[in-house]
Amino acid sequence: MAESSVIGAGTVVSGHVRGDGSLEILGRVEGDVNVTGNVIVGASGRVRGSVSGAELSIAGHVQGDLRGTLAVLLENGARVAGDISSPRVGIAPGALARGHVQTDGEPAAAARPASAARPASAGVRPADAPRDPRRGAPAPAARPSPVAAARVAPARPNPPIQPSVAKVPARAEARPEPRKPDAPKPVAAPSAAVAPPETEFVPVRPLKVEPRRPPPPVVPVLGKGVKAKKKKLHD
Amino acid sequence: MAGTVIGEGLTIEGDISGDEEIVIHGNLRGRLTTSDAVTVGGTAVVGADITGASLSVAGQVTGDVTASERVDIQAGGKLVGDIKAARFTIADGASFKGNVDMEL
Repeated sequence: MAESSVIGAGTVVSGHVRGDGSLEILGRVEGDVNVTGNVIVGASGRVRGSVSGAELSIAGHVQGDLRGTLAVLLENGARVAGDISSPRVGIAPGALARGHVQTDGEPAAAARPASAARPASAGVRPADAPRDPRRGAPAPAARPSPVAAARVAPARPNPPIQPSVAKVPARAEARPEPRKPDAPKPVAAPSAAVAPPETEFVPVRPLKVEPRRPPPPVVPVLGKGVKAKKKKLHD
Repeated sequence: MAGTVIGEGLTIEGDISGDEEIVIHGNLRGRLTTSDAVTVGGTAVVGADITGASLSVAGQVTGDVTASERVDIQAGGKLVGDIKAARFTIADGASFKGNVDMEL
């Protein structure tokens, strides 16, 4: 395959970078980076634009979205303002991140293809319940998903599950599967399976974790993206 | 150490500027400005005006070149554009089309 490329510390690229192979950025890039290989943004690297690649390792500053088909790793000293989306996301101590973080993609989905639909329906249901009259049991649970969770899974009085269920709607929007009027019981099990990756977010987005009880975390998520974009324009 | 390397398969659309050596094996469309040497490898396709201390071309370059020291077109290299450089060589087997100005 293609060889690796380096943008040196004394080099400024204003424009788009794309193609095959891996790329190491030690200088500045003002534009989008889109390669098939790995991307390393060194401690001296500065990127203003979105970065996508197989595995992204960031130790410098990035203003823009990060998309890694395999992984996104923020090293110590990294500063990222933008959304992060990858099956694997790692944020080291000392890294700064601001934006929406989402772990999705093939590896995570393939690990639990069958159960993936159920957390989605569980997460969507509380929000949809008021609008959908044909729904049976969960309908009266007018809004807060913690209430729905408490009602749906009384057989498993496991307190740590509740936060994870409450957070599910944020990820669930990707695959809305609202038609599962039956089987409210298995909800707890898949959400427990979802829980481990979710806990990784806790240090990243303390603001989003605090308001667990009020169910609409989706609104601040959109707001954050808009803010990041607006800030991008201003700078 | 080569400061910046644009590998084969990589495409940059835009300007590159800097103060270190730049080696291109991939594609570049835009402009290239550096205060150091520029090397265009055999697999490179460059459509850009190039400014640098020196330029060595083994691939294809389309654009005007300004070099403070020298420009060399290697065998197999192809350059279309005007050249402004104090020293300029064209190897046997290279192709070139353009004006030359060696009065720097």
